[in-house]
Amino acid sequence: MSMRTACIAGAAALVVTAAACSSSSSNSSSNVSPTGSQLSSQPTQKTGGSITVLESNGYSGSWSTLDPAQNKEGAATQDYMTAIYGQLFELGTGGKIVPDLATGYSFSPDAKTVTITLRQGVKFTDGTPFNAQAVYTNWERDLGPIGIKNGLNPPFLIKELPAPKGSPPGTPEPPAPGAIQVTGPYTIVVHQSVPNGAFIDQLFDSIATWIASPTALAKDPTGFGQNPVGAGPFEVVSNVPNSQLVVKKNPGYWEAGHPLLDQITFKTVGGDEAAYEALLANEGQVYENMSTTDLINESASHFEVENNLGTSPYDLQLNTSIAPFNNPKARQAIYAATNFTPILQHLFGSRYPVTESFTGPGGICYEPTVPGYQGYDPTLAKKLIQETGLNKVTFQLGTISIQTAQNAMEALRTEWEAVGLHVTVQSWPLQGLIAAFEGKKWQSMVQTAGAYDPASGVGVGFRFNSQSPFSGVHDPKLDALLQNAAGSTSLATRCSYYDQAAEYIAKNYYGPFYFTFSPANISVHGVGGPGLSTPLASVAVVPTIPWEDVYYNPGS
Amino acid sequence: MALVQQIQLQGDSGARGSARRIAGSPVLRVVGRRLLSAIPVLIGVTFLTFAVMSTLPNDTAQAILGLQATPGQVAALNHTLGLDQPFWLQYWHWLVKVLHGNLGTTLEGGSVNHELAVHLPATLELLAYALVVSLLLAIIMAVLAARKPNGIMDRISLAISMLGLSTAPYAFAFLLIVVFAVKLPWFPVISTSLGSTPVSWFKALTLPAAAIGFGLFAIYTRLLRADIVEQMQREDYIVTAKAKGLAPWRVLIKHALRNSLFTLITVIGLNLGGLVGAVAIIETVFQVPGIGNDLLTGIGNHDLPLIEGIVLVFALVTVLGNLLADLAYAVLDPRIRYGSSTS
Amino acid sequence: MAVPLPETLATPAPPSLPSLVSSRHLRAQRLGRTLRFWVPAGFLILMLGMCFLWPLVYKLPSPTNGNIIYNNEAPFSPGHWLGTNQLGVDQFSQIVYGGQVAFEVSAATTAIGMVIGCTIGVVAGYAGGWVDAVLSRVLDVLIAFPALVLALVIAEGLGPSEIHVIIALSVFAIPAFGRVSRGATIVVRGLPFMTAARLAGTRGWRIIARHVLPNIMPGIVTFSLLGIGIVIILEGALDFLGYGIPLPKASWGSMIAQGQQIMTAQPEYVLIPSLFLLVTVVSLNMLGDALRERWGVR
Repeated sequence: MSMRTACIAGAAALVVTAAACSSSSSNSSSNVSPTGSQLSSQPTQKTGGSITVLESNGYSGSWSTLDPAQNKEGAATQDYMTAIYGQLFELGTGGKIVPDLATGYSFSPDAKTVTITLRQGVKFTDGTPFNAQAVYTNWERDLGPIGIKNGLNPPFLIKELPAPKGSPPGTPEPPAPGAIQVTGPYTIVVHQSVPNGAFIDQLFDSIATWIASPTALAKDPTGFGQNPVGAGPFEVVSNVPNSQLVVKKNPGYWEAGHPLLDQITFKTVGGDEAAYEALLANEGQVYENMSTTDLINESASHFEVENNLGTSPYDLQLNTSIAPFNNPKARQAIYAATNFTPILQHLFGSRYPVTESFTGPGGICYEPTVPGYQGYDPTLAKKLIQETGLNKVTFQLGTISIQTAQNAMEALRTEWEAVGLHVTVQSWPLQGLIAAFEGKKWQSMVQTAGAYDPASGVGVGFRFNSQSPFSGVHDPKLDALLQNAAGSTSLATRCSYYDQAAEYIAKNYYGPFYFTFSPANISVHGVGGPGLSTPLASVAVVPTIPWEDVYYNPGS
Repeated sequence: MALVQQIQLQGDSGARGSARRIAGSPVLRVVGRRLLSAIPVLIGVTFLTFAVMSTLPNDTAQAILGLQATPGQVAALNHTLGLDQPFWLQYWHWLVKVLHGNLGTTLEGGSVNHELAVHLPATLELLAYALVVSLLLAIIMAVLAARKPNGIMDRISLAISMLGLSTAPYAFAFLLIVVFAVKLPWFPVISTSLGSTPVSWFKALTLPAAAIGFGLFAIYTRLLRADIVEQMQREDYIVTAKAKGLAPWRVLIKHALRNSLFTLITVIGLNLGGLVGAVAIIETVFQVPGIGNDLLTGIGNHDLPLIEGIVLVFALVTVLGNLLADLAYAVLDPRIRYGSSTS
Repeated sequence: MAVPLPETLATPAPPSLPSLVSSRHLRAQRLGRTLRFWVPAGFLILMLGMCFLWPLVYKLPSPTNGNIIYNNEAPFSPGHWLGTNQLGVDQFSQIVYGGQVAFEVSAATTAIGMVIGCTIGVVAGYAGGWVDAVLSRVLDVLIAFPALVLALVIAEGLGPSEIHVIIALSVFAIPAFGRVSRGATIVVRGLPFMTAARLAGTRGWRIIARHVLPNIMPGIVTFSLLGIGIVIILEGALDFLGYGIPLPKASWGSMIAQGQQIMTAQPEYVLIPSLFLLVTVVSLNMLGDALRERWGVR
């Protein structure tokens, strides 16, 4: 199989300067590392001080609970969760897997059994020892009734309890006894029922990587989500959901000399503009994931802009279970009716690379063009629209209420109406968006798909797997392809399956892809750390900043 | 004046002879009447809200049971929680619970009481700040303007209040942010936390209060100024005072202003209801952690118990405002206090 | 928004007695009065003409669909008098069609408020007694009812639309007119000629139609001008929150909401609709003031 190479030419963006080429190796699933730009001068490291991190209202700034098993907002709230809980493994600079609360892992030769070794001598902030039993308690909750009820149970490919009679196929159930075993005080073993070499990658940003103190959970199961206790670099001082979270240094943190900061305040702001104003007024030092092109350009003259390479392309999800997109020709019409080049050029300043699959330049198995992908063809579009009667119905196009997504949606609507389609648009903040998906009546949605490793929880399966509540596709063949892609520990094999999956999606017109959005993280001068002053690949959409390594040195 | 008559006539309309005899003192009568009439208003407002919100799909059962619930399970829980009953029945149960002090649970599982307890203070503080400051400034401006009608100060006050009446708070807020928070970093852009010191409290709430208060200031200034001017020119007692040789300033402040304040107080109370909308929007723009912000989030989430709780609070504030205004008026106005031919 | 009640809208100072004033002063006063009426009236006529007549004469670019290739054009670009926004939608078209919405909604709401509200208010004020008590309570409930919540809930439950906005804002307009008309009716009711009419045996409806209504109309009309201004601002607030006129239909409030997301980079997207909003409402208020001056309404 061919090696995968990805070369990124500098776009018209002002700040990205480095052209990075990368190559993959075939013996591990995550040490590919296309990198973004590095700031020309790194601020000098300093211990102590505090910063305010601004979070956007429609996405990361919305949270209701910090209990991993109940946190529906999931990866969007990764900033808070990793600050409080740390992670088992972190995705580090250069795509390396960095041990955090876990020190190592090993796969059985058939890639079914994973053994994870945990760090010794770690304590939660309430004194409870961190060990395999604590991890087991958490995973029991995550995979059991609580996680299932919230639709969150991580897709561990393990044997589950038999479903009660009459449940629809694919109903999630708690793990069968023995599927997860504590084999020693600091070792835990997962017996997967199918080969899956992506298990560790799948842990990133999934609820299973955030381990809560079992004592605290037992003491106050309902209130825990407002007063979480973890073993991460910081502990909670005050928590006002959807508004402000203040955390301070965990004095007993396992890594000596870390965290570098004494305190972090996470503050919700209305959006890119509000964040920009707040940064200008020095009310915040960091803002992640700025998407408004004009404001990114403005920021470049006042602040440091770290352009990380993207891993999550924008895609248009089509709900194949209800009209009108249960008809493949209707879906093809959408493909043919979309010309994303002018949108990319005028709305996004051509900053981002076009892609036809669920992969991005920052992740593994990047494939920007897919054979058989239906491109822009207005004549064909009009013909198909007539044939399928798509011009006689009005369908809904939805997205998250962030300005950039809304603008993209508006631009699409305008293009489509020019070929005779009738579209109503709708946008929601994150919680409303989740509810819209759960309602199952959505017809089309502009979202992001893909992750650093497409097999991980918020990767492709999220949007294309028949089990996911956020997917519009229910196709066992695609499920099988994705499963095979995750099953191997050979990167080459995996990437070839992902290529096939992308082709299959294109052939069935399950949803067009647009471009890989790459998050720009803005910080004031003097802030340093991975993802802020040095590039970091995103697990999904935004990089997961390891807050223990962030520092703020205003003088430098 | 039209308003005096109106208040007196309003007070007259409900009373019957026997009640009048029993009640005794005129002040007590007014208080009692107003309290009694406040209750049906509260009930009416909350009932109407329930009726209107029955148009919203009720997601409570689904939210409790989670994603994997079958329609059968959702229907069963709906029945247990009484959510499939007609809305007037649900309203009755809600009312009973409220009278026991329980406002219910939000969609996310927290208690409405708790949400209100956490967020209400910020809104009340914001309102109080806006009211007090706009009132003080209005008094100063009106007095200066009324001193010389059609003079320079008068024209300025008319122009400013015309602007204040005509600006939309949501547009004005952005102007304030750009000028006073970004260009001149005097105030914070986002008021997510009010801080622990009085200084930070002031800084966080000043811009939002100004956004709300500009309109209020305009109304109060116009009213006060017109009232004072009219008194100065028409009322006999003013002429007498001037003839007696009292300095014009003293006359203005000690006499005309005091009388005009009666009317103003009533107006302030009556205006309170209309502030709900302004507060909700301004809180969103500045991210003030108050119940207006909560209300908007709640509506977006179809969180019926939360919405009802907040509407109740706003209705209470409005009704209380009316009540206090009428009370203040009744207590301060000697005509009512000592009885008059019309009551 | 804070609502100025009718009793609070006072006139500017009454003119001094003619005999003590020079003829030059008199002429200046008359000129002032004329200007105070015709300048705002002129602006309003201009705005109405621009919003309703101009699109009939001249084909404007679409206010909802723009060509992304021509986005972010500055004002005074060829073909786009006020430029285009980030999606290439013509700003002037959005102002014009947004203005249509603003005037339509405010006119409809005010009309409904006037008809229903004045009916309630006049009946309450004229009848007195328990009828008045009951109707006053109804008005109190409507005033205490947060119209904003109503509008939001209707928009959430039934979907946003112009009709829903009108319904929701009418809930606010009706009690406002109710109060004004009730107060004015009570004042008129106490006048001597009314007693005379009653003693002469004139029937109630006749009295109301021939005596009450004509006397309260000036106050009602001047109040309604102010009311239109308030409703325009309220409607803008609903659009701003996203619960009013549904996107992509243009409205001033949603223009402001979208413009503020990019305010530091492109301030004109907020400034232009805000300016039009301000000028319109100021004109309405000034016109109301001028009329009040002319008709001697208190």
